[in-house]
Amino acid sequence: MDLATSMLVAASGMRAQSSRMRIIAENIANANSTAANASTDPYRRKIPTITSAFDRELNATVVKAGQPVQDASDFRTQYDPGNPAADKQGYVKLPNVNSLVEIMDMREAQTSYEANVNVLDASKTMLSRTIDLLTK
Amino acid sequence: MNLTSIPLLDVLRERMSWLSARQNVLSQNVANADTPGYTTQDMAPLDFGKILKESTQPGVFQGGLALTDPHHIAVSSDTTDGLATTSAAGSPITSTGLAVSVEEEMMKVADTQAQYQAATNLYAKAISMMRTAIDRSGA
Repeated sequence: MDLATSMLVAASGMRAQSSRMRIIAENIANANSTAANASTDPYRRKIPTITSAFDRELNATVVKAGQPVQDASDFRTQYDPGNPAADKQGYVKLPNVNSLVEIMDMREAQTSYEANVNVLDASKTMLSRTIDLLTK
Repeated sequence: MNLTSIPLLDVLRERMSWLSARQNVLSQNVANADTPGYTTQDMAPLDFGKILKESTQPGVFQGGLALTDPHHIAVSSDTTDGLATTSAAGSPITSTGLAVSVEEEMMKVADTQAQYQAATNLYAKAISMMRTAIDRSGA
């Protein structure tokens, strides 16, 4: 059944985007999480990944959220000698999260999610029109 | 005499199955819009002339087994009725090689939906016309 399949494909897209949203939320929530002491690293930003996979059962290309990748870029540093995580020079390592990047990423995930919802809605309407033929 | 042998209903059925197959391809495009390396796919347009010819000439063999050897026995269309694949759902899916443009896909989704609505309305209209004919004959 093609229309049911397209609804399931759209649902796989929604699932992938919401898992992307979860990783973005983790990044934003941990934007200021420092380490317990100077020798350990603070929170490292995660990059959400999305891959496509062929579903043999549906006979369609669905989307899957891949394993999040650690962002290898440098940590931000801030001069804060009173902080327990500060090193000998008084600098604290902060996570390599850039709120602006995260917010943009979040917007993109939101738009893609909405697109999938619209496809789901359109497929559902088409399916219900077919069922309506029974009542004619 | 079955419903699919009525030419109008058969063409509409082909159209609807093509549109729902296309909706399936479009939903894959939208779902994979953020997948790196994924390229947009679309269905080849429905060959209306071919379907019209097939549905208006009931004697024409519409599918089934291919005869690749002289020893093969040809089967009549009656025995393969349940097995014949629809040409609509079998339309080739082509890759355009371009990245997915969500706006364009949403336009296509809306277009597919409207055309599907047109097809179902015509189907309902055809059925109601038949019903009218039946009612008159009974009166």
